[in-house]
This record gives sequence, C-alpha cells and structure tokens, in this order.
Amino acid sequence: MKLKIYLSLAIFICAYAHGYSQNGLAPRDPENSPARKLTIEPGVGIHTNFGTDFLISNMVQWNPNKRLGFASYSSFNLNNVTQRDFNHIKTDYNYSLNQKFGAGTTVYSKKYSHTFFAMVGIKYTAFQETLENPNFNKVSTSISAFSPDYGMMYSLKRGWKKYFFTARFYLPLSPWLTKGAHIENIQGTLRDTALEFGMGIKIK
Amino acid sequence: MKNQKNIILYLGVLVSAILLTLLLGSCTEEEFNPGLTKEFTIQSISNGANYNIKVGLPGNYNAAEKYGSIYVLDGEENFDLVANSCEQIAKNNATQNVLVISIGYGQDRSIDYTPTKVSAITGGGAEFLNFIETQLIPRIEQDFSVDTNPASRVILGHSYGGLFGACVFAVNNKLFGNYILLSPSIWFDNEVALQLELDNRAVNKNSAQLVFMGIGEAENSGRMQAPFEALYETLRDNYTQIKLSTNREKGLDHVGSKNPNIIKGLNYYFQNR
Repeated sequence: MKLKIYLSLAIFICAYAHGYSQNGLAPRDPENSPARKLTIEPGVGIHTNFGTDFLISNMVQWNPNKRLGFASYSSFNLNNVTQRDFNHIKTDYNYSLNQKFGAGTTVYSKKYSHTFFAMVGIKYTAFQETLENPNFNKVSTSISAFSPDYGMMYSLKRGWKKYFFTARFYLPLSPWLTKGAHIENIQGTLRDTALEFGMGIKIK
Repeated sequence: MKNQKNIILYLGVLVSAILLTLLLGSCTEEEFNPGLTKEFTIQSISNGANYNIKVGLPGNYNAAEKYGSIYVLDGEENFDLVANSCEQIAKNNATQNVLVISIGYGQDRSIDYTPTKVSAITGGGAEFLNFIETQLIPRIEQDFSVDTNPASRVILGHSYGGLFGACVFAVNNKLFGNYILLSPSIWFDNEVALQLELDNRAVNKNSAQLVFMGIGEAENSGRMQAPFEALYETLRDNYTQIKLSTNREKGLDHVGSKNPNIIKGLNYYFQNR
C-alpha cells in the first residue's frame, strides 16, 4: 500500500513538472540544442552530512524522446573520510555502493536541460571500527548491509556541445517516509542527500 | 491546453498538500493521556538547576498496589513515546504497567549526562546522579505507590543519556535494577565509561541487573559501533548473573534508531523483569 502511495506521488510530481515544460521548442540546429538522446555523466560529490563523505558517481541517461528520460546511476562512496581515528577508535574501512534506476521527465531552456527522476535502487554499506585503547581489550566490529534506496533526483545539464557541465541533487525518501514518517527519521534522509558535479559526454 | 494546465496545477497543489501533511504529521508524537500525568518541579541541591518532572501513571493506577518505575532521560523528548509504549506493552503481555518518570532538562544535557569535564559544557554527571538518588527517587517513592526495591527501577537513556546510564551501572550499580542503554556515547573522553566499569567490576560483577543495549546499524560516524561492542562484550563476559540483550536496528542511524530501540528495550524489560 505504501509503495503505491509513493509511486503515485512520484508520478504526480513528474506530471507536475511536465505540465510546466514547454510543449515545443523552436526549430534549432540539432548541434546547438541541449536535447540529447544518450549521455554519460561521471561526477564527484558529497553527502550533505557536513561534507564528510566523498562520492564518485556516474549516470547514464537515455531520452527515447524529448520529454521522457531514463537513468542508471551508480556511485562509490567513501564515508566519513575526515574522521578515521578518534578517541582510540579507528575506522578500518567505510564505504558504500549504490545502484539506482530512474524514470522522469526533461524540460529544456536555451542552454540548459533539467531532468526530474524518481529513482529506485539498492545500497550496500560496509564499515569496520576497531577500539584500540591500551587500557582495554582490542575490539573490532564490522557491519555490512544492503538497504533499499528510493528518492528524487534533479539533474542539470548546461551546454549543447559534446562535453557539457552537469550537476545532480539527490533527495532520498528513506528512511524518512519509507521507513516511517517520524521526524526522527529525517536525520538519516538528510545524511544521504547528495550533491554532485561533473562533466557529461553526449554519445547521441 | 488551458484545462490541461489547470488540471496539472491542481494535481501539483494536491501533491504539495499531501507532502506537507506528511511532513507536519511526522513532527507530532501522540501525547500521553494528560489525565494520567502528574507534573512538578524539583530544584537540585547539587547543582541548583530546576528539573521539570512528569509522572505517567498506569491507566488503572491503584494506590494499594506497588508498581515498577522507569526513569526517562531526555524526558521532554521521550516521555510520551515511553509512557504510551509501556501502556501498550503491559496490555499485550497482560502484565502490570509501570510508572514512567520523565526527567526534563534542568541545564544543558551534555553537562548532566557526562561523567568528566572535558569542556565547559560537560562533567556534571555526578551532581545529576546525586539529584536522582537523593531527591528524585525519594520524592517519587514518597508520593506514589511504587516498589522501593531497586530491582524494580529502570533507567532509560539515549546517546549521552545512554552514556549516563552506563556510568550509573558502573559507579552506583544497585541504584537501578534495569538499564536500557540506547546508542550510548561510550566514546566520550577516551571511553571513560569503560574505565569506570573496569574500576568497579569487582564489586558489581555478581549483580543480576537487566541490561538492554540498542544502536542503529547505520551509525557509521567512526565512534559508535566499536565502543558499543566493547561494552556489550565486557558485560557478557564478566557479569555472570546479568540478563543482557542487544539490538542493531536495520538501516537506521543515531536518531532514527532511538524510537524503535526504545520499544524493543521496553519489550525486553517487560518480558524479562
């Protein structure tokens, strides 16, 4: 039931964005148009948890027509890179892998294209901490876990040449909403909110 | 064309309204029955702060019976959830409910809940514990029909509150018979809580306390998991009489795991007390 509600919301949001898009563009030289069929967009970014996570990502976007877009998003995240030795607690490793797929709609302006995606995917997180305080026994604990990853992504592209500037903003809807609409789940959602920048390559 | 835009506009407004309702709805906690809640303030002799105390009574509170008592740290945030959950869990288990005592903030929580002074806003734990032991518990046991046996007392705390609970376990083990320690900040001051436990182990190790430890699986800030595990293993390996349980709440972080772990901790207490 919950999933139906979220899917309905995602469709409404896409329809809403689509409604404000231009119905048609003035005929342009295809070489000078921000409309593209297939792009690859590597990038780097951070989570908004005070910038302690570093993200390396790639998105492949396919627009079978001008308005409709599909995306495959992958990322490797090095988590908590700035604090790996604290009060005798060492982080041995801490990373996560994401793979998401999305569908959405694209709107265009002269030099820009804006795509709004509803994304669904999976996240794998692994980390290990070791307490190495000489006063106590050495204790290590490791976590490795898969978790679902749902959210909304906004993708901006600027330029119409083969290479162009991209920026992405991802707002997860988990744990807030999908795990429960309690206010205390918002911290987790904000922690995984991502902001990324990169260079896109037009394939078609 | 115009109609289509209007329809889309209405849909947009509808979606925004639904999202806003969800967001606002997520900010509220179901309030515990005000008719069963008593409220008063106590000034601490130890530190001079005024603590707002709320007491949640069982629905069928009977002064002729003796009830267990749960002392809730960060009470202003947790009281309603704990009191409502206790009522539900007691009902589900067909067992006697408890009194829930909420300890509000008298001063900065980081002063009250930490055992040592590492900054201007830490290190008041001893005074706060003194307040609980010499003023709050006697007042509760005088004004309400609670079991005065420490074995029937519970302390519940999250984060710095969990650290405070762990320190009470170490330095004043007999004051409470039951400890619900959620995402405890054991990392504080080079794991001083583990040192306190070690210093007092010989005296405490044969006590039969109940301890529930909860944490979020997604707490990956590089300071929570290893000290949590160290405390858990210490209790498991050195306290032969202890009733001990642990829970890692899947996919949730430090704050998000609090409420699910509160409910799991209370269930463990009601089923094993």
